[in-house]
Amino acid sequence: MHKKTAFSFPDEVLEHVFSFIQSDKDRNSVSMVCKSWYEIERWCRRKVFVGNCYAVSPRMVIKRFPEIRSIELKGKPHFADFNLVPDGWGGYVFPWIVEMAGAVPWLEEIKLKRMVVTDESLELIAKSFKNFKALVLSSCEGFSTDGLAAIAASCKNLKELDLRDCDVDDLSGHLLSHFPDTYTSLVSLNISCLGSDEVSFSTLERLVCRCTNLRTLRLNRAVPLDKIANILRRAPQLVDFGTGTYAADLRPDSYSDLAGAFSSCKELRSLSGFWDVVPDYLPAIYPVCSKLTSLNLSYATIQSPELIKLVSHCPNLQRLLVLDYIEDSGLEVLASSCKNLQELRVFPSDPFGVEPNVSLTEQGLVAVSSGCPKLQSVLYFCRRMSNEALVTVAKNCPNFTRFRLCIIEPRTADYQTLEPLDVGFGAIVQYCKDLQRLSLSGLLTDRVFEYIGTYAKKLEMLSVAFAGDSDLGLHHVLSGCESLRKLEIRDCPFGDKALLANAAKLETMRSLWMSSCAVSFRACKLLGQKMPRLNVEVIDERGPPDSRPESCPVDKLYIYRTVAGSRFDMPPFVWTMEDDPSLQLS
Amino acid sequence: MPNMEFELGLALPTPNIIKGFDLNNLGLDQPKDMGGLEARNKAARCFSDKSKRSFEQAFGNSEEEYKTKTLLLWSGQPNEEDDHKDQKKRTFSTIDENDAEEVDQVVGWPPIKTWRKKIFQQQHRVGRIGNNRVADTDSGRSIYVKVKMEGVAITRKVDIRLYHSYQTLTNSLITLFARDKKCADDDYTRYILTYLDKEGDWLIAGDIPWQSFIRSVQRLKIIQKICTFWS
Repeated sequence: MHKKTAFSFPDEVLEHVFSFIQSDKDRNSVSMVCKSWYEIERWCRRKVFVGNCYAVSPRMVIKRFPEIRSIELKGKPHFADFNLVPDGWGGYVFPWIVEMAGAVPWLEEIKLKRMVVTDESLELIAKSFKNFKALVLSSCEGFSTDGLAAIAASCKNLKELDLRDCDVDDLSGHLLSHFPDTYTSLVSLNISCLGSDEVSFSTLERLVCRCTNLRTLRLNRAVPLDKIANILRRAPQLVDFGTGTYAADLRPDSYSDLAGAFSSCKELRSLSGFWDVVPDYLPAIYPVCSKLTSLNLSYATIQSPELIKLVSHCPNLQRLLVLDYIEDSGLEVLASSCKNLQELRVFPSDPFGVEPNVSLTEQGLVAVSSGCPKLQSVLYFCRRMSNEALVTVAKNCPNFTRFRLCIIEPRTADYQTLEPLDVGFGAIVQYCKDLQRLSLSGLLTDRVFEYIGTYAKKLEMLSVAFAGDSDLGLHHVLSGCESLRKLEIRDCPFGDKALLANAAKLETMRSLWMSSCAVSFRACKLLGQKMPRLNVEVIDERGPPDSRPESCPVDKLYIYRTVAGSRFDMPPFVWTMEDDPSLQLS
Repeated sequence: MPNMEFELGLALPTPNIIKGFDLNNLGLDQPKDMGGLEARNKAARCFSDKSKRSFEQAFGNSEEEYKTKTLLLWSGQPNEEDDHKDQKKRTFSTIDENDAEEVDQVVGWPPIKTWRKKIFQQQHRVGRIGNNRVADTDSGRSIYVKVKMEGVAITRKVDIRLYHSYQTLTNSLITLFARDKKCADDDYTRYILTYLDKEGDWLIAGDIPWQSFIRSVQRLKIIQKICTFWS
């Protein structure tokens, strides 16, 4: 009797088995079992995710995984979303496209986040990948509708064109007319960020008509309400729909037309858009509300009474994005109506006003935490908070995976006790053992970081602003948070000590961002010299850091691990701290 | 208020000297002394062997033994001589120059995506009429107007483009403020709607045609009707 070992299986068998393994983590584990598994796995890996486009070079990726069909890349640091990363910092996708155009002609899918995409890149994509199927651009910039037109015109098998929150130079309203008349494979189209005032409605209707597999359609603001009915009637199979402007003169026939059109969409589960809402038209969506799982009203400037009515019609809601017009009273209704709620995001309607313009406080959050047992993910902007409320929320929702609280005025104390909110956030990390993402705000001392370092063992991403007293705070986080991958900090009194004492930790993370803190140029240089596998970037628009004393704090610091060495595309206001050549690894 | 820390059992050890750090030669180049930098420390324990291997294995540096590094011995005590200067950068609000209530903004705060901020800026133009407005029939952008009611702390905003008459506007305002004021129905007769016009005067709403009104109104205020000689 002899044992058959894994090594005696032919490669094709192993490859077939591996094809069932989709997650990157598992694939990585598989590739480390032995050299032959490494080889087989790398030839059959189809999807690659690169969380930081500068962590590795395109050539290295393609060399190891020559047969990929899908690539996902992320560029700028997250704080770029809030204008903290100056224009021109980097994140260019072109070198990747060039490399892949030559080596991976069968590429089907490109997903990019916070990258600079040019028309040239888009045209190259259109030209190079004959079986191209999906382009997802999230918070990208640098391109115009001309580049998109090239994709529309050339990619016969395109299924997905998804532009989320992109800054697109909208040169014409005729993007859709570039899809050939023979083109029918569209499944998902999201043009909600296109700004142009002209959309050819007949072109849109014809496109929708002939693409019978269309499941997701998100229109932009230029599409008026009276055109929606026609589109919906032509695509009753839609699952995810984003309206354009939801405003029109009140006319009974257009209302009933719209209501009828919505009723015909039996598969609709997700709605978004809702710019410029005329409240009287909202009941038109009531026929679909009972099946809705996702509702994005975050651009809808409707007041609490209308929001309450709407939300009461949606018992199966899992995801709600809304403005703070919903107020505490609306959130109480949400808590009693939507027992399946998993994700809630409440955005501020007047973020720069000093006075509160709505009655939305910590009470609303407490109500939802109490009424919605499945709540996992929260983003909440408000103007006051208390430790008591946070402790209650933490105890109510031990299943939180993402908790982001933004108290609008920096360093706001507990409004009841005037104490820091350390204990409240401490409760969050203590009770929510699976917490992966946390954003802090309010008045916070080093103590909150002690709690985080002690309890937040699964935390992967932490955002900190205007918090802490000393380096001890940063030290707690770096030394305690075992799962930490991304740390972003602004306006905190953290300096050299904690950073240098935890230098090794930085290689275990994807990246660290620190701006308006107290890290000296000297410390940056030291880190750069001693840690060859880190890129230590000093970003300073005031001029070269060596024109000031070494002890001067740098303006912005971005540190990330990389096997690709320093990058070559830095603008004049970014300096990479040099590795010590005598310490270079081969 | 009871001491919440004890209730939660969040009592933590006081900060103490972090064990296992090696004093390092700061900034001195001793290339052969890479061995001297090796020190198992707390930070290294965060970096498990498994993930170390995957990172190196994946990208080819298989031979290099991982060296943990500390670049500074630090006792973990807060620093007395830190004089952190407040480095807030402030830019002035460009959204609404007319409104004295708007505060200086800190760059990138509150953390709202640029895309979303653009929408706010379009929606919060107080009383300003858009440039691309065509004569009468435009279904153009919203016109947001602040509404203050006497005795109510919160100033609200309404988009007057959503209404087509004084009656519809008044009805909506009643609904809006009813929750705040908690008045009995007949109390409404004791309030008047006034507005600030383009010339800076406060007038009683209702005298001019609706279309002229919405072109002129800058702000709304609901005040209590004073029983006067001539009302």
